[in-house]
Amino acid sequence: MRVLVVEDDPDLNRQLVTALTDAGYAVDKAMDGEEGYFLGETEPYDVIVLDIGLPKMDGISVLEQWRRADRNMHVIILTARDRWSDKVAGMDAGADDYVAKPFHMEELLARIRAQVRRATGHARAEIECGPLRLDTKTARVTLDGQPVKLTSHEYRLLAYLLHHNGRVVSRTELVEHLYEQDFDRDSNTIEVFVGRLRKKIPPYLIKTVRGLGYRLSPEQDEA
Amino acid sequence: MKLNSLAFRLFRTAAVWAVLVLPLAGFMIDWVHRQDIYKSFDARLSQLLTLNIAFATDHGGPEPKVPRNVGEPLFELAHSGWYWQITPLGSSPGKRLVSASLTSDRLRLPSSQGGKPDNNNIIWKDTPGPAGEPLRIAETLYNGGDDENPRFYSFLVAGNIEFAETRIAEFRVPLAFSLALAGLGLVLSTFLQVRYGLRPLHVIERRLAAIRSGQAQRLEGTLPAEIEPLQTELNALMQSNHNIIERARTQVGNLAHALKTPLAVITNEVANEDTPSARKVSEQAKVMRDQVQHYLDRARMAAHTGVIGRVTEVKPVAQSITRALERIYQDRRLDIVVDCPADLRFQGEKQDLEEMLGNLADNACKWAKSAVRVEVRSREGAKTGEAQRLIVAVDDDGPGLTPEQRAQGIKRGRRLDESKPGSGLGHSIVADLAQTYQGTFTLEASELGGLSARLELPSI
Repeated sequence: MRVLVVEDDPDLNRQLVTALTDAGYAVDKAMDGEEGYFLGETEPYDVIVLDIGLPKMDGISVLEQWRRADRNMHVIILTARDRWSDKVAGMDAGADDYVAKPFHMEELLARIRAQVRRATGHARAEIECGPLRLDTKTARVTLDGQPVKLTSHEYRLLAYLLHHNGRVVSRTELVEHLYEQDFDRDSNTIEVFVGRLRKKIPPYLIKTVRGLGYRLSPEQDEA
Repeated sequence: MKLNSLAFRLFRTAAVWAVLVLPLAGFMIDWVHRQDIYKSFDARLSQLLTLNIAFATDHGGPEPKVPRNVGEPLFELAHSGWYWQITPLGSSPGKRLVSASLTSDRLRLPSSQGGKPDNNNIIWKDTPGPAGEPLRIAETLYNGGDDENPRFYSFLVAGNIEFAETRIAEFRVPLAFSLALAGLGLVLSTFLQVRYGLRPLHVIERRLAAIRSGQAQRLEGTLPAEIEPLQTELNALMQSNHNIIERARTQVGNLAHALKTPLAVITNEVANEDTPSARKVSEQAKVMRDQVQHYLDRARMAAHTGVIGRVTEVKPVAQSITRALERIYQDRRLDIVVDCPADLRFQGEKQDLEEMLGNLADNACKWAKSAVRVEVRSREGAKTGEAQRLIVAVDDDGPGLTPEQRAQGIKRGRRLDESKPGSGLGHSIVADLAQTYQGTFTLEASELGGLSARLELPSI
């Protein structure tokens, strides 16, 4: 899952990026409204955390321009102006949720998870596929109740497939959603990680759909 | 009419004029008239005297004779009040001659009682006549001889003063009547002046009321030159008031942004550390956060205390808030119903209505199992003349609160359940705002099963 953080305060930006990376997201950052707008316009983010008070271009304008350009990613606005008039203005501009400053990081992470689930059509915090189970709250994957040890990249890949389970996901889509903007994007690395994952979970769960990509499904007879 | 009103001042001036000046004028006119009547009465007596002397002495004899009638028939009527008398003085020859009206009576000569002659050599005297009537006597001493052989005679003519007094009294009735009419006219014209002249002030009064009730933003329209500066100044004052509030709001918003971001950084920086100093920093950051919030709320409320002329349509506000909440709580699939007639208007700032409705509806959404209802109604004031009130009820079907919890729920900063996100200030902000608008905020049990938050606010 790829997240963009648009926040001009360097300390808060760093804290957000660290917390989100630790939670298993591929995170990009922008320090002002123009940079944020450009990244949101050009990169396929799953969720964007957008501060309202930004230099060069304020958050509400950034959001309005994205929505005008039919960019439909989920946006959570961060705002110090926490009156309802500000919240309503943010939501009317096209935000999906708001978090008022100062906030607890866990609360923001919970809101981001909720947006990711909403984006992929999952109502509950736990996502299952056969014996495989992902608790999005704790970012833990279990197989028949036993924890599966994963590296961060393996987790990102598996979490993305689990969120989109049952659907064919292309390698390009995976590259776009699993890696940060400045990551060396080589789709072969996806195959490497899929290979590693198949050693840690029952291999039949991740099906290769020739020429199209991968699909996560609990049925054993296909393959 | 109030005692300290302009209308009363004008009436008072008119009344003083009518009560003091008009009677004074009446007395003066009466006095001048009286003088005039007496002057013409004296002139008549003087004329009769001259004619009497002329007719008594024109025969050429050594002594005066009974003169022929000088044209006053009353000299012939007994005790008519009009008399003449010719009296030889000293050793002058002749008899005392009197008019027929004197019959056997005689008049005492003013000259023998020490009367002094005036410039025309006439001695005047007011005295009762033979029938007790008030007489005015004009007497002159006439020398019928020459300087060597003088023959002095006293000629006198008397007239009844009642004739003069009657004419004076007759004049007083129309005088008093006209003056009373003038006084009445004065009061009436003052009344009309007040009604007509002060009408622009009533116009201002009505327009100011319209501004207070939010139907207008400025004092519009053409007013008389005298109060036009007042109109200009009032408009400028209202604009300046509005600007100051806008500035205060902006400053408060800027302050909020300036303080809250560093607070977020501090809170998050120590969140994952479990050392005594990290705990202390975290604890103090929370205190700072609450304090900042508390004083920002105070500043916001102070900024609009006494703001006049703001009216907010309720339905669009309720709809935009529920639209926002529907998106925020999308996953919970809550059934959020707004029941609000389109014509309801809140007498106050839009931001404040949003704050109250937003907090209540947000709280309801946090706790609701499936349904939230926002119902707004208007109610006529309990007493006649009392302003219309807006009744807002936000209900949910959540677990609700016990009566004790409800009593505590509106106290500042108390969070009844720490498990739900939020600062816990929602209800107390609503209570404070409602109080600012002379409204009430109560928590009750809802018929939906959960909590019912009720607001009563001013409407128009």
